[in-house]
Amino acid sequence: MLRFHWRLVQRGEKPLMTRSLRDERLETALPDLESQAEFCRRAEEGGIDSVLVDINFATPDPMALATALACNTRKIKFIVAVRSGLISPTLFVQQVNTFSSLHGDRISLNVVAGHSPEEQRCYGDFLDHDSRYERTREFLGICRGFWRRGEVNFEGKYFCIQGGRLNTPFVSEQRDHPEILVAGGSESANVLAIEHGDCWMRLADAPATMGQSVGPALRAGREVGLRLSIIAAQTRPQALDAAYALVEETVSRRKDGETEGRFVSRSDSHSIAAVYRSAEKEWLAPCLWTGAVRSHGAPAIALVGSHDEVADALLEYGRLGVSQFIISGWPKLDTMVRFGEEILPRIRAKESKGFAHA
Amino acid sequence: MNSSTPLRFHWSLSQAGDKFRRLRPAEQMPGILNLDSQVELCRQGERYGIESMLMAIGFTRPDPTLLSIELGLRTEKMKFMIACRSGLISPAYWVQQINTASALIPGRICVNIVCGHTPHELRYYGDFLPHDERYERTEEFLNVCRAFWSAGPAGLPVNFEGKYYRIENGRLRTPFVASDTAVPEIFVGGNSDQAAALAVRHGDCLWRFPDRDENLRSHCELLNRAGKQLGLLVSLITRPTPEEAAEACHALLAGFGVEAKAVHQQFAHRSDSIGFRAIYASATEESEWLNPWLWTGAVPYLGPPAIALVGSFEQVAAALLHYQSMGITQFLFTGWPDIEEMEYFGCGVLPLLCKTSTEKQVC
Repeated sequence: MLRFHWRLVQRGEKPLMTRSLRDERLETALPDLESQAEFCRRAEEGGIDSVLVDINFATPDPMALATALACNTRKIKFIVAVRSGLISPTLFVQQVNTFSSLHGDRISLNVVAGHSPEEQRCYGDFLDHDSRYERTREFLGICRGFWRRGEVNFEGKYFCIQGGRLNTPFVSEQRDHPEILVAGGSESANVLAIEHGDCWMRLADAPATMGQSVGPALRAGREVGLRLSIIAAQTRPQALDAAYALVEETVSRRKDGETEGRFVSRSDSHSIAAVYRSAEKEWLAPCLWTGAVRSHGAPAIALVGSHDEVADALLEYGRLGVSQFIISGWPKLDTMVRFGEEILPRIRAKESKGFAHA
Repeated sequence: MNSSTPLRFHWSLSQAGDKFRRLRPAEQMPGILNLDSQVELCRQGERYGIESMLMAIGFTRPDPTLLSIELGLRTEKMKFMIACRSGLISPAYWVQQINTASALIPGRICVNIVCGHTPHELRYYGDFLPHDERYERTEEFLNVCRAFWSAGPAGLPVNFEGKYYRIENGRLRTPFVASDTAVPEIFVGGNSDQAAALAVRHGDCLWRFPDRDENLRSHCELLNRAGKQLGLLVSLITRPTPEEAAEACHALLAGFGVEAKAVHQQFAHRSDSIGFRAIYASATEESEWLNPWLWTGAVPYLGPPAIALVGSFEQVAAALLHYQSMGITQFLFTGWPDIEEMEYFGCGVLPLLCKTSTEKQVC
């Protein structure tokens, strides 16, 4: 069965908000426990597996926020984003284990290497792209060591741990460690996902060009997941209208496109650059639209179409071996609720007839 | 600072529901504490004039920041004093975690900066610095934290270049949330002169172990001259009468085996904390009493935090008022067990303090 996750809405995010608008608004940095918990409950009701809690300088700390949201919900899981340059792997495992001792295994990890050198320096992290992956590899190696529950000894280039132990274990009936999603389109991310992850997360691309890239992870017994957006409606013309409205909003605010362009030029992420480049072509596949990428960022690569078309497009990825999706949409809550009402039932019906997997 | 500074009381959450926790070797202490017992102790503290719970940090226990959020959402007004060591986390990211916690339970977060006491444990976290350099790093850590707190979410970017940290155009958009301040109250834990100097420069209050008055005076004067406070980290054994308090001490000792002594002899050798060493040393003196109210009898079994303020309600109230007149105004208590000791304190000692010092605004 395909699993669907949704990106958590942050406080004050407006339906058509772009990155430039979001970063201007101080209020997105304050948690809004009531409405965010309500968002999580609606996700639970709609069959969403987990919500993704981002990490960056302009939003609340994802680990702290997820703890509070778990306290206010029953079963939704939290995919907490983590970067290796911020915290000792030992303390990080201690935080994850503490979460699990309070709320069971309702936590999984979205391991990111960071995409903006400028932002990383805010935190005192001055490594370049490839060195960040090297450090993340050591970080995850140490984490996995703690989750095997023995004494941890590690001597690497970035971390050194001697006789490491933690008395608070990871608490779960199903797993000995949290599910680890490793995000990133580069070769380094792919290799890292195979070595230390459970799932390799990448941005969506046309199914025809994706087949090859998913091979190594699948053959190594890892899952593959996609990050994308959804713009769906009863009919395709309605969905196209919604998609173009999103862009028109942006065109009237030229600043958004410029801000995003500036963000991309300063980023050292391979996949953000690749998706931004691919946005020269508006349609990568009949339903895969890049029109919002240049204003809303790389994860705005979107499946656009009728509910049937979007359901089929997701199942097509399923046939390639993709088994998880982290989705965004505009407006966030409505799009998620309609996904649960319209698209997910179509997918489950076809899955039960054996359409899903290759 | 003068004798009219009101007394403030805090309690350690570290052994809620498990009074013999410290009898075991650290490796065998349970890493998950009973949530109901912890919530119960916090709620009782809310009723008995306890302002905040100390949320300690170490490999034997859960992460203090996450646990504070969880307990904060399950209680009304109790504050949480979240411990941190500088070697564990980027100061910018720590400020982001603390600020987020403060936004989730507004006005109920303060912080306790410690430098660690046992090198072998610090190595579990990848921290290999010796005692003095840990203080140097903590100094930089607090410098960076304070810069982020002073800048706030809309202020100028933070730039810092030190021996241990380097921050370039640092920005954090989540503010520290409290009705009256943009910077959390900062407690610094430690008995060394470095700790006192750190508290003077960056803190609001120094936590240290008690000692004979003459040995407390220098820290007391140093802190008070700088307009900062001195607080004592001390166990409490108080009962209606002196005899009952002495009986409670005997009963506590009777519960210990010889193994516990061995555990702490071993620990004493491994620690590089000035305070821990001093308390262990004072506990080997002939008398178990440093003065009429300070008892070291349980230290060989339970470790330095077991140095105890002992006496009847009247005696303990008098000792606290004595400390207040010296300029020692905050207390962080531990009890054996906590829940009962806190009740003796709240019902027995606290009303006496309110009665004898109405102008001193204790209550």
